[in-house]
Amino acid sequence: MNHYPQAWGRPRDDVYGPYDNSYFQASAPQTHTQSPAVTGTSVLGVKFKDGVVIAADNLASYGSLARFTDVKRLRTFPPNTVIGFGGDVSDMQYLDRLLQSLDIRENYLSSYGHVLNAKNLHTYLSKVLYKRRSDFNPLWNMLLVAGLDDDDKPFLASADLLGTTFSSPTLATGFGAHLAQPLLRKLMPHDEDSVKDVTKEMAVEAIKACMKVLFYRDARSLDKYSIAVVTKDGVELKEDQKLEDQSWAFADQIRGYGTQVN
Amino acid sequence: MFIARSEYDRGINTFSPEGRLFQVEYSLEAIKLGSTAIGVATSHGVLLGVEKRVTSPLLVSSSIEKIVEIDRHIGCAMSGLQADARSMIEHARVESQNHAFNFNERLRVESCTQAICDLALRFGEGAQGEESIMSRPFGVALLIAGWDEDNGPQLYHAEPSGTFYRYDAKAIGSGSEGAQAELQSEYHRSLTLEEAETLVLKTLKQVMEEKLDSKNVQLASVTKEKGFQIYGDEQMATVVARLEGD
Amino acid sequence: MASIMNAGGLPSDQPGYSFSNASAPSESSGPRQHAFNPYTDNGGSTLGVTGADFAILAGDTRSTSGYNINTRYAPKLFRIGDDGDSSSRIVLSVVGFAADGNALKERLDAIVKMYKYQHGKPMSVKACAQRLSTILYQKRFFPYYVHAILGGLDDDGKGALYSYDPVGSYEREQCRAAGAAASLIMPFLDNQVNYKNQYIPASGTGHELQPRAIESLPKEDVIGLVKDAFTSATERHIEVGDGLQMLIITKDGIEEIYTPLKRD
Repeated sequence: MNHYPQAWGRPRDDVYGPYDNSYFQASAPQTHTQSPAVTGTSVLGVKFKDGVVIAADNLASYGSLARFTDVKRLRTFPPNTVIGFGGDVSDMQYLDRLLQSLDIRENYLSSYGHVLNAKNLHTYLSKVLYKRRSDFNPLWNMLLVAGLDDDDKPFLASADLLGTTFSSPTLATGFGAHLAQPLLRKLMPHDEDSVKDVTKEMAVEAIKACMKVLFYRDARSLDKYSIAVVTKDGVELKEDQKLEDQSWAFADQIRGYGTQVN
Repeated sequence: MFIARSEYDRGINTFSPEGRLFQVEYSLEAIKLGSTAIGVATSHGVLLGVEKRVTSPLLVSSSIEKIVEIDRHIGCAMSGLQADARSMIEHARVESQNHAFNFNERLRVESCTQAICDLALRFGEGAQGEESIMSRPFGVALLIAGWDEDNGPQLYHAEPSGTFYRYDAKAIGSGSEGAQAELQSEYHRSLTLEEAETLVLKTLKQVMEEKLDSKNVQLASVTKEKGFQIYGDEQMATVVARLEGD
Repeated sequence: MASIMNAGGLPSDQPGYSFSNASAPSESSGPRQHAFNPYTDNGGSTLGVTGADFAILAGDTRSTSGYNINTRYAPKLFRIGDDGDSSSRIVLSVVGFAADGNALKERLDAIVKMYKYQHGKPMSVKACAQRLSTILYQKRFFPYYVHAILGGLDDDGKGALYSYDPVGSYEREQCRAAGAAASLIMPFLDNQVNYKNQYIPASGTGHELQPRAIESLPKEDVIGLVKDAFTSATERHIEVGDGLQMLIITKDGIEEIYTPLKRD
């Protein structure tokens, strides 16, 4: 998955030749989502010894227009799961409704309170996504599911609009797969075996650094973001966080940046 | 005041206060009116035998078909309402062919019997009011004979209640009580297929009203080598002659 | 008069074909549509080799999307019908579109487990092989985009290996490579397992030259071949690497071996 949601689910340019964008203008009656409209960019996730850190910024873009700047793309699912959504925002809202009704149903049926952990939710969501892609009516998203598995160990996995799933100690969707993932992987030289050596502070630090890199280099990103830390004790979700220690010193020298006129 | 029975034998799926399903029990009675059918399992193969009730000298006896093939390795004999057996056998044949198509191996005899019995309780309407395929229980019992890779020669008895059991030798139908007693005293594990032929015919002869001849009985066997085979006129004549010779 | 004379002749100097010679329009006139593409390729490679009393299935653990590595550990090998009492002796490997691979694995697994309940015996590899074929074929108009290899032991205890195309054509083979590096690994296997292009030196000239006789290889030798195949494929194919998972099926059960591969 690259950083360009319009290209998700389409034939790869390097294999099938350049994509014919005139299809976007087609006014034929369409009942299924053939392309995403309002989209969110990267979601980042990192495991650490006691849990998972996950983050996504507050921007929802309409093509190249920064359309909505206070969209929360991290959703919590009690007691300790966080889902980060990339891609189409309306499909994200649909999935959120689906998860809310699932939560209500599960709580009604069970007298023991919450029963679904992050692993259960990831399986559920990936089957929803796979079903929809098989009906040629995809939900145009890439998700990260962060939380704990059956043994209360850190769980982090991804699911996309095709129903493809994978899990890794560090994950990043969209532009983050190119820019953040290589930086995050430095935390985990031995993959899963390194998770026990990573503290919460290290993980949060790495995520914040990557959010900054993404804000510098991803044109569809924002310096306002949500970050969540999931552990056995629950979810610590911080919304409307501002990127700290931005360095725009170089901008003085460049016409068109900052407060410069002319 | 009605007697208890008349109140609880109308609803097909209604238990009586004593915990009985009268319609199912009555269907077992229907079998007792049917012609006698006998199955005997030996280590060489399974033998099936039925009496054909040739009710008129003008009836073509070869048109009475009470032993049929389900697959190359499974056959079955029936007693009771023959028309009901048609749909059960059709189901078993499809099930057997499906299994061969999907798994490239023969359906087990037990699995075949189970598939038939799965049909048995599909009468009456469902709990959610769904339409059902049958209005009453089957009025027929089957003796299912077969040979499979895992368990060799086997004989199963399937009832309209949906229960089935495996037997070494079993008789069903109008003469079943007498026939079963005879089988019980005569059966032993080292029986050959030829001895089984004689045993089946001898037993049938005892319980039949008509005089047994090669036209009013039918035999069939299932063996490893030849699978299911119905005895032809010549074979029947030979076996009946052997019986008369004794 | 001239028109009558011309009636039976050729109307032009072009050869008279009985069918329309006009070329087909290059674009259809209907509304242009571009459907959502429900497939992707997650790369990676698998292979299977059998011996006299064992079967080995192997696959790298890298998952890719284009030039990205999704994860370094996404197994492509699955135990089928495993209900914990180790009666199952069937392994499925799938390579291609991972989401379809997972869906296929789960369907086959459920069917094999149900079979045991319905028929009271574990499913044979032969039966499982046929069932997998019908599953794939039933979806031939919207195929599972995977190359599957099924391995186990047959009724005689010999290693059994079945390979499939995405729509269910299958055959039993001695060895098979599938996936991204299949074209790199398969010729190596042909040469090293079936001794293709190997001849006994000085056994004759021309067609008299005797080919080296095929023998069934010992397990340790096959493990060596599998490792060599994957280290080499890792060098030459960008979608292969990170780790090698091997499942070795013998009468004693299924042994799993994991060895790291280069991660570049």
